[in-house]
Amino acid sequence: MLTVAQVLEPLARHRSHEVIVTTMSVTRPWGLLSDSDLDFASADSAMGHAADLALGIALARPERKVVSLNGDGSMLMCLGTLVTAVACGASNYILIVSDNGQYEITGHQPVAGAGRVDYAGLAEAAGFRQAYHFDDARTWAEQLPEILSSLGPTFVHLAVAPGTQGPIGRSESEPARYLQHSLSEWSRIMREALTGSTL
Amino acid sequence: MSRPLATVRGLTTAGITHVVGIPDNTSGPLFDELSRHPTIRLVTVTREGEAIALASGLWLGGASPLVVIQNTGLLEAGDGLRGTATRMGAPIPMLITGRGYAKMERANVGPDTPRTIELLTRADVDSTALMTEPTLDAWGIPFRVCAGDEDPVAAISATVSEASASGRPTAVVMTRALT
Repeated sequence: MLTVAQVLEPLARHRSHEVIVTTMSVTRPWGLLSDSDLDFASADSAMGHAADLALGIALARPERKVVSLNGDGSMLMCLGTLVTAVACGASNYILIVSDNGQYEITGHQPVAGAGRVDYAGLAEAAGFRQAYHFDDARTWAEQLPEILSSLGPTFVHLAVAPGTQGPIGRSESEPARYLQHSLSEWSRIMREALTGSTL
Repeated sequence: MSRPLATVRGLTTAGITHVVGIPDNTSGPLFDELSRHPTIRLVTVTREGEAIALASGLWLGGASPLVVIQNTGLLEAGDGLRGTATRMGAPIPMLITGRGYAKMERANVGPDTPRTIELLTRADVDSTALMTEPTLDAWGIPFRVCAGDEDPVAAISATVSEASASGRPTAVVMTRALT
């Protein structure tokens, strides 16, 4: 089983021009490792819509890889997005499920089917080009460069130990820059970064 | 020119790059026409909240999407709409096809009729239509209704313009056919 730090630190090391969409328990930890206008915190609830929002960015910017750092509870709320991502041929889309078996930020309540769902199998059945499962930090870190460079859609399931994250807010006291702005303000910052730059 | 083709041409003129949604009897001909279109990309999704979140991501990436869903699916999509497009201030126009409006008219009731349990359980009333406009109001979504002889192409174009000008999701409820 990986820690959240073991999930995120290799991604921060290998990340170059990718868009990273976070949600739930990885939102704050990612914002402490990265300070990019291409990071997006889907942290204003929205009931599991980080993966589909990230897919929309991927379809709008086919020249750029888009990584959705999703949770297991969030994934269960938008399982249909597995089918949509394949149906629209999003070859630049990487969907990572950080599976800790619980709704961590609302108080560690158990997620339905925790520990029994084969998420990589679901993605494979939906037609993802690649579907990985990792439960050790070393293999994840070794495989990550290939995952980031391969043609997708790509799915990664990570078995992750629960952490201690609480509810996420947006305020100037948040250490992560992307949580210091309202969602509306940050959306404009990111849109400008995406439309005003080229790879 | 067929109505669906005229609608697609109107979307092209309005600068729409993607149409995201789920077809029904009313929007089916539009989806058929879009599936052959050389520039507007059609993205068929699995749930209506997914359509709105995906469209919000498209807008973040610089695209100009239109969401096309039925009013039944709109009711399912509440928190997806609130937590993405509305909170983001994303100017997402939505074409909402209006199931149940004919029944509502035949039963001589409307969106302003008090929603008592007797009304909501009547067999001759489709409660989807009763709840559509009050729900849009409650969620802070400006909307127009396109009914009868009104030109659907003009109504959709106006909705796209209003979304862009106001910087918020905006809707047209289409209670007439698109053919």
